[in-house]
Amino acid sequence: MRILTRRDTGLLTQWTFGRSIYQDETVAFVNATGISDATTINAINALVIALKGYGIWTKMKAVYPFVGGTATTNKFNLVNAADSNSAFRLNFVGGWSFSSNGALPNGVNSYANTFLSPATALSLNSSHFSYYSRTNSNAAEVEMGDNVNLLMEIRTVGISYFRVNSNTLLTFSDTDSRAFYLLNRSASNLSNAWKNGVSQVSSANASSLLSPANIFLAALNSLGTPSAFSTKQCAFASIGDGLSLTEAANLYTAVQAFNTSLSRNV
Amino acid sequence: MIVYLLTPEQADSLKGVEFMPDNLFNPIQDANGNWIITEEEVSQTSIEWVKDLPQIQYEPIIYQLE
Repeated sequence: MRILTRRDTGLLTQWTFGRSIYQDETVAFVNATGISDATTINAINALVIALKGYGIWTKMKAVYPFVGGTATTNKFNLVNAADSNSAFRLNFVGGWSFSSNGALPNGVNSYANTFLSPATALSLNSSHFSYYSRTNSNAAEVEMGDNVNLLMEIRTVGISYFRVNSNTLLTFSDTDSRAFYLLNRSASNLSNAWKNGVSQVSSANASSLLSPANIFLAALNSLGTPSAFSTKQCAFASIGDGLSLTEAANLYTAVQAFNTSLSRNV
Repeated sequence: MIVYLLTPEQADSLKGVEFMPDNLFNPIQDANGNWIITEEEVSQTSIEWVKDLPQIQYEPIIYQLE
């Protein structure tokens, strides 16, 4: 096998028999971030391949892998690695810490603006939001939401709270917030909340309104003002269209394999 | 938790400023109305006067969520 690798321009251009061994999205992401670690690059590529194989990739508006250990490498959206608000590149604000384990908000003043507004980027009856938490916390913290029609509030006093395109709450008892959480709406009368690939609660509550606010990660967006700051280290997050039951389970499989390959799975 | 106390003018001057590449300062008010920034911001900035800010104990605002 003949592999030509050229890194002298700083651009990833690895080819096998004239054909890239990496997905186009991997190449774009690696070139944007400047990441050179082979383990990380291969993990990203395997994630893209898995999401495509499961038929989930085209449903993604934003995928944040949180790799590379700096704000610059963590800010890019794997779906569209352009450095712009319209590409839903993250804007980190406040006291974050970045490491090979992901992005750690301090619970005091840190959040990330995705610039993704559900009202303009998502559909009322088809939306999902995910957050891979590496931190066990039991305080009043919000990982995503506007507290009207969108909420991912992982484990406050033993209960996790969710809303998706409706003001109806989904709740379940939660004893440990180290997990992959998924909030999903796949129909006007079907929403569910998942933990580690297992549906925890499902509801026939009717969809009513898409949040007009930009989604913040690790805080509540109250009319543009962040509050309820999270302490939960994030090792993956995604926003996109609604997922079927099988797709929801498969997303966990893909994300867990991704984080396992980076030795940061919980 | 220790945080760093700002005057209102200092808080204004840091809003929208990077303390490291691609991460902005975020001065906020605590439960007592004090403007503060955090250890992560102070320890990672190269702005000298920020490193000399007085330390105070953090008094969080208690949010009423679900």
